[in-house]
Amino acid sequence: MNASTHEQSTEMFQRLGHITRQLHDALNQLGYTPALKGAVDELPDARSRLQYIARLTGDAAEKVLNRVDEAKAEQDAVRQHSQQLLDTIGAVPGLKWAMPELLEWSQKIQHSTERTDTHLTEIMLAQDFHDLTGQVIKKVVTLAATIEAQLVQLLLESAVHAHPNAQPAGPAGAAPQSVAPAPLAPTARREDEALSGPVVNPEGRTDVVTDQAQVDDLLASLGF
Amino acid sequence: MPDLRFLIVDDFSTMRRIVRNLLKEIGHADADEAEDGVVALHKLRNGKFDFVVSDINMPNMNGFELLTQIKSDDKLKHLPVLMVTAEARKEDIIAAAQGGAAGYIVKPFTKATLEEKLANIFKKMGW
Repeated sequence: MNASTHEQSTEMFQRLGHITRQLHDALNQLGYTPALKGAVDELPDARSRLQYIARLTGDAAEKVLNRVDEAKAEQDAVRQHSQQLLDTIGAVPGLKWAMPELLEWSQKIQHSTERTDTHLTEIMLAQDFHDLTGQVIKKVVTLAATIEAQLVQLLLESAVHAHPNAQPAGPAGAAPQSVAPAPLAPTARREDEALSGPVVNPEGRTDVVTDQAQVDDLLASLGF
Repeated sequence: MPDLRFLIVDDFSTMRRIVRNLLKEIGHADADEAEDGVVALHKLRNGKFDFVVSDINMPNMNGFELLTQIKSDDKLKHLPVLMVTAEARKEDIIAAAQGGAAGYIVKPFTKATLEEKLANIFKKMGW
Protein backbone atom coordinates (compact mmCIF):
# COMPACT_ATOMS: atom_id res chain seq x y z
CA MET A 1 0.00 0.00 0.00
CA ASN A 2 1.49 3.39 -0.97
CA ALA A 3 1.33 6.56 1.14
CA SER A 4 -1.49 8.09 -0.88
CA THR A 5 -3.66 4.99 -0.59
CA HIS A 6 -2.89 4.76 3.12
CA GLU A 7 -3.95 8.38 3.64
CA GLN A 8 -7.16 7.78 1.69
CA SER A 9 -7.93 4.70 3.78
CA THR A 10 -7.25 6.56 7.01
CA GLU A 11 -9.49 9.40 5.92
CA MET A 12 -12.22 6.95 4.90
CA PHE A 13 -12.08 5.18 8.29
CA GLN A 14 -12.18 8.52 10.11
CA ARG A 15 -15.25 9.54 8.13
CA LEU A 16 -16.89 6.17 8.79
CA GLY A 17 -16.13 6.59 12.51
CA HIS A 18 -17.69 10.05 12.40
CA ILE A 19 -20.81 8.71 10.69
CA THR A 20 -21.05 5.90 13.26
CA ARG A 21 -20.82 8.38 16.14
CA GLN A 22 -23.53 10.51 14.52
CA LEU A 23 -25.66 7.39 14.16
CA HIS A 24 -25.13 6.54 17.84
CA ASP A 25 -26.09 10.07 18.86
CA ALA A 26 -29.14 10.07 16.59
CA LEU A 27 -30.30 6.72 17.94
CA ASN A 28 -30.03 7.98 21.50
CA GLN A 29 -31.58 11.38 20.83
CA LEU A 30 -34.48 9.98 18.86
CA GLY A 31 -35.06 7.24 21.41
CA TYR A 32 -34.51 4.44 18.93
CA THR A 33 -32.16 2.48 21.15
CA PRO A 34 -35.00 0.51 22.81
CA ALA A 35 -36.44 -0.26 19.37
CA LEU A 36 -33.01 -1.41 18.20
CA LYS A 37 -32.69 -3.58 21.31
CA GLY A 38 -36.10 -5.07 20.52
CA ALA A 39 -34.97 -5.90 17.00
CA VAL A 40 -31.81 -7.53 18.33
CA ASP A 41 -33.84 -9.60 20.80
CA GLU A 42 -36.13 -10.79 17.99
CA LEU A 43 -33.36 -11.98 15.69
CA PRO A 44 -32.69 -15.25 17.59
CA ASP A 45 -36.41 -15.98 17.35
CA ALA A 46 -36.30 -15.36 13.57
CA ARG A 47 -33.34 -17.73 13.32
CA SER A 48 -35.19 -20.38 15.32
CA ARG A 49 -38.20 -20.10 13.04
CA LEU A 50 -36.05 -20.56 9.94
CA GLN A 51 -34.32 -23.56 11.51
CA TYR A 52 -37.75 -24.97 12.37
CA ILE A 53 -38.76 -24.68 8.69
CA ALA A 54 -35.55 -26.38 7.62
CA ARG A 55 -36.11 -29.21 10.11
CA LEU A 56 -39.74 -29.78 9.13
CA THR A 57 -39.07 -29.74 5.40
CA GLY A 58 -36.19 -32.13 5.98
CA ASP A 59 -38.43 -34.50 7.94
CA ALA A 60 -41.09 -34.28 5.21
CA ALA A 61 -38.54 -35.07 2.50
CA GLU A 62 -37.33 -38.09 4.47
CA LYS A 63 -40.91 -39.34 4.91
CA VAL A 64 -41.49 -39.05 1.16
CA LEU A 65 -38.25 -40.93 0.46
CA ASN A 66 -39.32 -43.70 2.86
CA ARG A 67 -42.67 -44.02 1.09
CA VAL A 68 -41.01 -43.98 -2.33
CA ASP A 69 -38.71 -46.82 -1.24
CA GLU A 70 -41.71 -48.86 -0.09
CA ALA A 71 -43.73 -48.05 -3.22
CA LYS A 72 -40.83 -48.98 -5.49
CA ALA A 73 -40.51 -52.34 -3.73
CA GLU A 74 -44.27 -52.94 -4.19
CA GLN A 75 -44.03 -51.93 -7.82
CA ASP A 76 -41.18 -54.32 -8.37
CA ALA A 77 -43.22 -57.15 -6.85
CA VAL A 78 -46.14 -56.35 -9.20
CA ARG A 79 -43.75 -56.28 -12.14
CA GLN A 80 -42.29 -59.66 -11.21
CA HIS A 81 -45.74 -61.21 -10.78
CA SER A 82 -46.93 -59.87 -14.12
CA GLN A 83 -43.81 -61.32 -15.71
CA GLN A 84 -44.60 -64.69 -14.12
CA LEU A 85 -48.10 -64.39 -15.54
CA LEU A 86 -46.71 -63.67 -19.01
CA ASP A 87 -44.35 -66.64 -18.74
CA THR A 88 -47.20 -68.92 -17.61
CA ILE A 89 -49.48 -67.79 -20.44
CA GLY A 90 -46.71 -68.47 -22.91
CA ALA A 91 -45.99 -71.89 -21.41
CA VAL A 92 -49.56 -73.22 -21.60
CA PRO A 93 -50.18 -74.45 -25.16
CA GLY A 94 -52.95 -72.57 -26.92
CA LEU A 95 -53.79 -70.29 -23.95
CA LYS A 96 -52.63 -67.04 -25.52
CA TRP A 97 -54.80 -67.84 -28.56
CA ALA A 98 -57.78 -68.97 -26.52
CA MET A 99 -57.68 -65.97 -24.17
CA PRO A 100 -55.60 -63.21 -25.84
CA GLU A 101 -56.87 -60.64 -23.35
CA LEU A 102 -54.83 -62.34 -20.60
CA LEU A 103 -51.68 -61.65 -22.55
CA GLU A 104 -52.75 -58.08 -23.30
CA TRP A 105 -53.62 -57.30 -19.66
CA SER A 106 -50.36 -58.75 -18.40
CA GLN A 107 -48.37 -56.67 -20.87
CA LYS A 108 -50.31 -53.55 -19.85
CA ILE A 109 -49.52 -54.23 -16.20
CA GLN A 110 -45.82 -54.53 -17.12
CA HIS A 111 -45.86 -51.20 -18.91
CA SER A 112 -47.81 -49.53 -16.10
CA THR A 113 -45.29 -50.67 -13.50
CA GLU A 114 -42.46 -49.24 -15.60
CA ARG A 115 -44.21 -45.87 -15.92
CA THR A 116 -45.09 -45.80 -12.22
CA ASP A 117 -41.48 -46.56 -11.34
CA THR A 118 -40.38 -43.61 -13.47
CA HIS A 119 -42.88 -41.37 -11.66
CA LEU A 120 -41.57 -42.59 -8.31
CA THR A 121 -38.01 -41.77 -9.37
CA GLU A 122 -39.14 -38.25 -10.29
CA ILE A 123 -40.87 -37.88 -6.90
CA MET A 124 -37.66 -39.03 -5.21
CA LEU A 125 -35.55 -36.54 -7.18
CA ALA A 126 -37.96 -33.71 -6.39
CA GLN A 127 -37.03 -34.10 -2.72
CA ASP A 128 -33.76 -32.34 -3.52
CA PHE A 129 -35.73 -29.18 -2.74
CA HIS A 130 -34.74 -29.84 0.88
CA ASP A 131 -31.06 -29.55 0.01
CA LEU A 132 -31.52 -26.43 -2.13
CA THR A 133 -33.87 -24.56 0.22
CA GLY A 134 -31.84 -25.76 3.19
CA GLN A 135 -28.71 -24.12 1.80
CA VAL A 136 -30.57 -20.85 1.25
CA ILE A 137 -32.05 -20.96 4.78
CA LYS A 138 -28.58 -21.66 6.20
CA LYS A 139 -27.20 -18.57 4.49
CA VAL A 140 -30.08 -16.42 5.79
CA VAL A 141 -29.56 -17.78 9.32
CA THR A 142 -25.85 -16.92 9.08
CA LEU A 143 -26.74 -13.47 7.77
CA ALA A 144 -29.19 -12.95 10.66
CA ALA A 145 -26.45 -13.93 13.13
CA THR A 146 -24.07 -11.42 11.53
CA ILE A 147 -26.66 -8.64 11.64
CA GLU A 148 -27.44 -9.51 15.26
CA ALA A 149 -23.76 -9.32 16.21
CA GLN A 150 -23.38 -5.97 14.46
CA LEU A 151 -26.51 -4.53 16.07
CA VAL A 152 -25.37 -5.71 19.49
CA GLN A 153 -22.09 -3.94 18.85
CA LEU A 154 -23.95 -0.78 17.85
CA LEU A 155 -26.03 -0.95 21.03
CA LEU A 156 -22.96 -1.44 23.20
CA GLU A 157 -21.19 1.49 21.61
CA SER A 158 -24.34 3.63 21.90
CA ALA A 159 -24.44 2.87 25.61
CA VAL A 160 -20.78 3.80 25.99
CA HIS A 161 -21.30 7.11 24.15
CA ALA A 162 -24.43 7.94 26.15
CA HIS A 163 -22.85 7.04 29.52
CA PRO A 164 -19.07 7.14 29.09
CA ASN A 165 -18.42 5.98 32.67
CA ALA A 166 -21.13 3.35 32.74
CA GLN A 167 -20.62 -0.34 32.13
CA PRO A 168 -22.92 -1.02 29.17
CA ALA A 169 -25.72 -3.49 29.71
CA GLY A 170 -26.07 -5.62 26.59
CA PRO A 171 -29.29 -7.11 25.32
CA ALA A 172 -30.47 -10.46 26.58
CA GLY A 173 -27.81 -13.07 26.03
CA ALA A 174 -25.21 -10.58 24.79
CA ALA A 175 -21.69 -10.67 26.14
CA PRO A 176 -20.45 -7.06 26.36
CA GLN A 177 -16.75 -7.77 26.73
CA SER A 178 -15.38 -6.69 23.39
CA VAL A 179 -15.83 -3.70 21.16
CA ALA A 180 -14.20 -5.28 18.13
CA PRO A 181 -16.59 -6.40 15.37
CA ALA A 182 -17.54 -10.03 15.90
CA PRO A 183 -15.89 -12.12 13.20
CA LEU A 184 -17.82 -14.82 11.41
CA ALA A 185 -16.98 -18.41 12.17
CA PRO A 186 -14.41 -19.73 9.65
CA THR A 187 -16.94 -22.03 8.01
CA ALA A 188 -19.54 -19.29 7.68
CA ARG A 189 -16.99 -16.86 6.26
CA ARG A 190 -15.76 -19.40 3.73
CA GLU A 191 -19.32 -20.15 2.61
CA ASP A 192 -20.25 -16.48 2.45
CA GLU A 193 -17.19 -15.32 0.59
CA ALA A 194 -16.19 -18.27 -1.54
CA LEU A 195 -19.34 -20.27 -2.13
CA SER A 196 -22.64 -18.75 -3.09
CA GLY A 197 -25.04 -21.71 -2.87
CA PRO A 198 -28.12 -22.00 -5.08
CA VAL A 199 -28.77 -19.06 -7.38
CA VAL A 200 -32.05 -17.62 -6.14
CA ASN A 201 -32.43 -15.01 -8.87
CA PRO A 202 -30.31 -15.58 -11.99
CA GLU A 203 -31.97 -12.79 -13.99
CA GLY A 204 -29.43 -10.35 -15.39
CA ARG A 205 -26.45 -12.34 -14.10
CA THR A 206 -23.77 -13.47 -16.50
CA ASP A 207 -21.52 -15.08 -13.91
CA VAL A 208 -23.78 -18.07 -13.27
CA VAL A 209 -25.29 -20.94 -15.19
CA THR A 210 -28.97 -21.80 -14.95
CA ASP A 211 -29.02 -25.40 -16.18
CA GLN A 212 -26.87 -28.42 -16.94
CA ALA A 213 -26.66 -27.59 -20.67
CA GLN A 214 -24.87 -24.33 -19.81
CA VAL A 215 -22.47 -26.21 -17.53
CA ASP A 216 -21.66 -28.63 -20.36
CA ASP A 217 -21.25 -25.81 -22.90
CA LEU A 218 -18.94 -23.89 -20.57
CA LEU A 219 -16.73 -26.90 -19.90
CA ALA A 220 -16.69 -27.87 -23.59
CA SER A 221 -15.68 -24.33 -24.57
CA LEU A 222 -12.69 -24.65 -22.25
CA GLY A 223 -11.71 -28.03 -23.61
CA PHE A 224 -12.82 -30.12 -20.62
CA MET B 1 -17.92 -52.96 -16.43
CA PRO B 2 -16.26 -53.85 -13.09
CA ASP B 3 -18.22 -53.69 -9.85
CA LEU B 4 -17.61 -50.16 -8.59
CA ARG B 5 -17.73 -48.91 -5.03
CA PHE B 6 -18.96 -45.33 -4.72
CA LEU B 7 -18.51 -42.76 -1.96
CA ILE B 8 -21.30 -40.17 -1.84
CA VAL B 9 -20.32 -36.96 -0.04
CA ASP B 10 -23.00 -34.43 0.89
CA ASP B 11 -23.94 -32.68 4.12
CA PHE B 12 -27.66 -33.19 3.43
CA SER B 13 -28.78 -36.74 4.20
CA THR B 14 -31.72 -36.35 1.81
CA MET B 15 -29.38 -35.71 -1.09
CA ARG B 16 -27.06 -38.58 -0.12
CA ARG B 17 -30.05 -40.88 -0.11
CA ILE B 18 -31.31 -39.60 -3.49
CA VAL B 19 -27.91 -40.07 -5.13
CA ARG B 20 -27.52 -43.49 -3.55
CA ASN B 21 -30.95 -44.61 -4.80
CA LEU B 22 -30.24 -43.27 -8.29
CA LEU B 23 -26.90 -45.07 -8.43
CA LYS B 24 -28.68 -48.26 -7.38
CA GLU B 25 -31.25 -47.81 -10.15
CA ILE B 26 -28.47 -47.28 -12.65
CA GLY B 27 -26.85 -50.51 -11.49
CA HIS B 28 -24.33 -49.40 -8.85
CA ALA B 29 -25.61 -50.63 -5.51
CA ASP B 30 -22.27 -50.66 -3.72
CA ALA B 31 -21.98 -47.24 -2.05
CA ASP B 32 -21.06 -45.60 1.21
CA GLU B 33 -21.77 -42.07 2.46
CA ALA B 34 -19.92 -39.20 4.13
CA GLU B 35 -21.39 -35.95 5.45
CA ASP B 36 -18.38 -33.73 4.71
CA GLY B 37 -14.89 -33.72 3.24
CA VAL B 38 -13.18 -34.68 6.49
CA VAL B 39 -15.25 -37.85 6.92
CA ALA B 40 -14.91 -38.59 3.20
CA LEU B 41 -11.12 -38.32 3.27
CA HIS B 42 -10.95 -40.60 6.30
CA LYS B 43 -13.12 -43.21 4.57
CA LEU B 44 -11.18 -42.94 1.32
CA ARG B 45 -7.85 -43.42 3.12
CA ASN B 46 -9.13 -46.35 5.15
CA GLY B 47 -11.29 -48.17 2.62
CA LYS B 48 -11.47 -49.18 -1.00
CA PHE B 49 -13.44 -46.96 -3.34
CA ASP B 50 -13.53 -46.54 -7.11
CA PHE B 51 -15.57 -43.38 -7.53
CA VAL B 52 -16.45 -40.23 -5.56
CA VAL B 53 -19.65 -38.21 -6.00
CA SER B 54 -19.26 -35.02 -4.01
CA ASP B 55 -21.19 -31.89 -3.12
CA ILE B 56 -19.17 -28.64 -2.82
CA ASN B 57 -20.83 -26.50 -0.16
CA MET B 58 -20.24 -28.48 3.05
CA PRO B 59 -19.03 -27.65 6.56
CA ASN B 60 -15.59 -28.63 7.95
CA MET B 61 -14.11 -29.42 4.54
CA ASN B 62 -15.88 -28.36 1.37
CA GLY B 63 -15.85 -30.17 -1.97
CA PHE B 64 -13.05 -28.07 -3.46
CA GLU B 65 -10.79 -28.82 -0.52
CA LEU B 66 -11.69 -32.51 -0.72
CA LEU B 67 -10.91 -32.52 -4.45
CA THR B 68 -7.52 -30.91 -3.77
CA GLN B 69 -6.73 -33.45 -1.06
CA ILE B 70 -7.70 -36.38 -3.30
CA LYS B 71 -5.73 -35.13 -6.28
CA SER B 72 -2.61 -34.48 -4.19
CA ASP B 73 -2.66 -37.92 -2.56
CA ASP B 74 -0.73 -40.52 -4.53
CA LYS B 75 -3.01 -43.29 -3.34
CA LEU B 76 -6.23 -41.46 -4.18
CA LYS B 77 -5.51 -39.23 -7.15
CA HIS B 78 -6.62 -41.87 -9.66
CA LEU B 79 -10.18 -41.69 -8.30
CA PRO B 80 -12.67 -39.91 -10.55
CA VAL B 81 -14.57 -37.21 -8.65
CA LEU B 82 -17.96 -36.13 -9.95
CA MET B 83 -19.16 -32.86 -8.42
CA VAL B 84 -22.93 -32.70 -7.82
CA THR B 85 -23.69 -29.26 -6.44
CA ALA B 86 -25.93 -26.22 -6.32
CA GLU B 87 -22.91 -23.97 -6.93
CA ALA B 88 -23.72 -22.43 -10.31
CA ARG B 89 -21.06 -19.74 -10.66
CA LYS B 90 -18.96 -20.18 -13.78
CA GLU B 91 -15.76 -19.58 -11.82
CA ASP B 92 -16.62 -22.49 -9.50
CA ILE B 93 -17.32 -24.81 -12.44
CA ILE B 94 -14.02 -23.86 -14.07
CA ALA B 95 -12.16 -24.20 -10.77
CA ALA B 96 -13.55 -27.71 -10.31
CA ALA B 97 -12.51 -28.73 -13.81
CA GLN B 98 -9.04 -27.26 -13.37
CA GLY B 99 -8.78 -28.95 -9.99
CA GLY B 100 -9.23 -32.34 -11.61
CA ALA B 101 -12.96 -33.04 -11.27
CA ALA B 102 -14.11 -35.67 -13.73
CA GLY B 103 -17.53 -34.04 -14.17
CA TYR B 104 -19.84 -31.34 -12.86
CA ILE B 105 -23.58 -31.66 -12.33
CA VAL B 106 -25.58 -28.68 -11.16
CA LYS B 107 -28.57 -29.28 -8.88
CA PRO B 108 -31.43 -29.84 -9.46
CA PHE B 109 -30.59 -32.63 -11.88
CA THR B 110 -32.22 -35.61 -13.54
CA LYS B 111 -31.49 -39.32 -13.54
CA ALA B 112 -30.64 -39.05 -17.24
CA THR B 113 -27.99 -36.40 -16.50
CA LEU B 114 -26.36 -38.56 -13.85
CA GLU B 115 -26.40 -41.59 -16.18
CA GLU B 116 -24.89 -39.56 -19.01
CA LYS B 117 -22.09 -38.08 -16.91
CA LEU B 118 -21.24 -41.44 -15.38
CA ALA B 119 -21.14 -43.05 -18.82
CA ASN B 120 -18.77 -40.33 -20.08
CA ILE B 121 -16.44 -40.79 -17.13
CA PHE B 122 -16.52 -44.60 -17.37
CA LYS B 123 -15.60 -44.30 -21.03
CA LYS B 124 -12.63 -42.05 -20.24
CA MET B 125 -11.54 -44.45 -17.51
CA GLY B 126 -11.76 -47.37 -19.93
CA TRP B 127 -14.36 -49.15 -17.79
